Amino acid sequence: MPLSTQSQGDAEQYVLVASLDNARNLSNILKAITFKDHAIFSATPNGLKVTVEDSKCLQANAFIQSEIFQEYTIKEDSVGFQVNLTVLLDCLNIFGGSTAPGVSTALRMCYKGYGYPLTLFLEEGGVVTVCKINTEEPEEPVDFEFCSTNVTNKVILQSESLKEAFSELDMTSEVLQITMSPSQPYFRLSTFGNSGNAHYDYPKDSDMMELFKCTKTQTNRYKMSLLKPSTKALALSCKVSVRTDSRGFLSLQYLVRNDDGQICFVEYYCCPDEEVAED
Amino acid sequence: MNCVLEGNAVKAFGKAIHSLSRIGDELCLDPMSKGLALRSVNSAHSAYACFLFSPMFFQKYNLGPEQGSETVQCKLLMKSILPLFRCLATVERCQIQINTPNDRVKIQFFCRHGITKTHDLCFEESEALQAAFASHLCPNVLKAPARVLGEMVMHFPVSQEEITLSVTPLRVSLRNYFEGGNDHMKIMYTEMSLHPDEFDYFQIGVESNITFCLKELRGLLSFAESHCLPVSVHFGAAGKPVCFSVEDMILEATVVLSTLIDSESPSQPAETLTVAPRTPTRCADVVPESPGEAATVPAGMELVASSQGSPIEDPALLLLLHHLSEPHYQERANSTPASSICSLLFRAKSPESGEGLPVLACCSDEEEAEEEDVMMMRSPTL
Repeated sequence: MPLSTQSQGDAEQYVLVASLDNARNLSNILKAITFKDHAIFSATPNGLKVTVEDSKCLQANAFIQSEIFQEYTIKEDSVGFQVNLTVLLDCLNIFGGSTAPGVSTALRMCYKGYGYPLTLFLEEGGVVTVCKINTEEPEEPVDFEFCSTNVTNKVILQSESLKEAFSELDMTSEVLQITMSPSQPYFRLSTFGNSGNAHYDYPKDSDMMELFKCTKTQTNRYKMSLLKPSTKALALSCKVSVRTDSRGFLSLQYLVRNDDGQICFVEYYCCPDEEVAED
Repeated sequence: MNCVLEGNAVKAFGKAIHSLSRIGDELCLDPMSKGLALRSVNSAHSAYACFLFSPMFFQKYNLGPEQGSETVQCKLLMKSILPLFRCLATVERCQIQINTPNDRVKIQFFCRHGITKTHDLCFEESEALQAAFASHLCPNVLKAPARVLGEMVMHFPVSQEEITLSVTPLRVSLRNYFEGGNDHMKIMYTEMSLHPDEFDYFQIGVESNITFCLKELRGLLSFAESHCLPVSVHFGAAGKPVCFSVEDMILEATVVLSTLIDSESPSQPAETLTVAPRTPTRCADVVPESPGEAATVPAGMELVASSQGSPIEDPALLLLLHHLSEPHYQERANSTPASSICSLLFRAKSPESGEGLPVLACCSDEEEAEEEDVMMMRSPTL
């Protein structure tokens, strides 16, 4: 691969080098969290985490483990920077994003450290493009303090069944209400729009329901505008886990398979709109 | 009312709603003892469609105790109900309940994998609108497989608003219709003809050229094609409404469209097209004062029986046939001295309503009325 024939000297100066034979394995997953321009990159020896936030109420994270990369070298315990995600995606797709089989863009992503731009070497069909994207001081992502011990209700569904519901959601509704309960209706999505109400019920014994662990009846509302971007992640995923904790915070975790069948994760955290009494 | 539809019936129901969405912005659900009617009218009251599903269409069909002769008709916004019937691939059963006390229609879809979708829609109560159309008095009747008509209209671009259907005892042709003479150079003219043999039933009592809105018809044609049903066309001279209908054992669908008045038709003197705003004109006389009038076949015309030897049937009485003994229609209030789409005025079912319903939309070509070089159809030569 041409990109790996850089001199040893060059490689010395980078604190992070990550290479992919197929840049789509990164760009596709980043598209699932692109609802804001800026993303916080946090790299550790385990892999890459990309975070996008909206008004401190919504946070999306994409995880690409080090095993996904053909080359992954990190010289520090943690490397962090912030870049414009839209620009990054444009660069990753600089060769037009052709989906013809056998044709892919190779990527080598390099970072020298604080104050340096993020350098992308992209190659397709023998043509190499070098992109340098300015980086910024990374903001501290909000800690939603969502921990498994505090989870009251959890379900894992096959994405196929949720995709239809989300594509039909009444967008005139300001909120999406999620009810989870050990008894009827088990798992329900509700909207309250201009023409009326809609409810989507998933019974606990549905064959789309892979896991059902609900301890307490909970109904929470979330702003539709905040959850709308998550449909991109849903579209890419094959499974989704929906968890709520005692405060009503929502965690959506999507299992995404990339072009090569490898698994990556995208998760969304969302604050509830308000405390809602039982309907 | 409470009814249940199973899988394929849900898809047909959805298709009917889709066809009705081509007509108007509102959908009326009218549960009756003879079935559930879905109706829609366009804002200009120049197009009306009705799909009637008999009780046999449903797995279960119950009218509530409050529904007797005074039925509750629910008016819903098309944009509220149409999206519900878009993705029906996983739907196994559908239940529709009309709950009068709280003005809600509950539509529940029972889907694969145990998933249930419930929609509670608000409705407005409205008086039942029906178009009274005496199809048995129409001199011209055509019947052809939906495919035949579908293949004819396929040649017109989707943007084509109006087309002209011309019939003589020897030929049926369809061509596109344009108003105004200024754009001759920019228009592509399309015309196709069919021989009477192509039709299952062919009866031409009056040679005529009728111009009507194609867009509003496409929905019914696509429904008919998907159900492989023949389409019947009942019409008369220009200016009188045309009715397209399909039916089978469990459902009937009808679209009634008004047609342009033709000043050059043989039975009117050939002079500048005028419309008398306040007095009834021919376009309003769908049901003539003397019952026998429209049935008279002008000299020189003949009834041509179907080449396939189908019996000359009494044109199927439309489910809409009510109040035949009250043959009057009101002229639209703002008719202009130009070619204009006639509006049909619908009779409300409840007796205490007023004489006529106001038409909300004026004809869009009012301004061009004076200079308009009316591009009317050539009078057929006998």
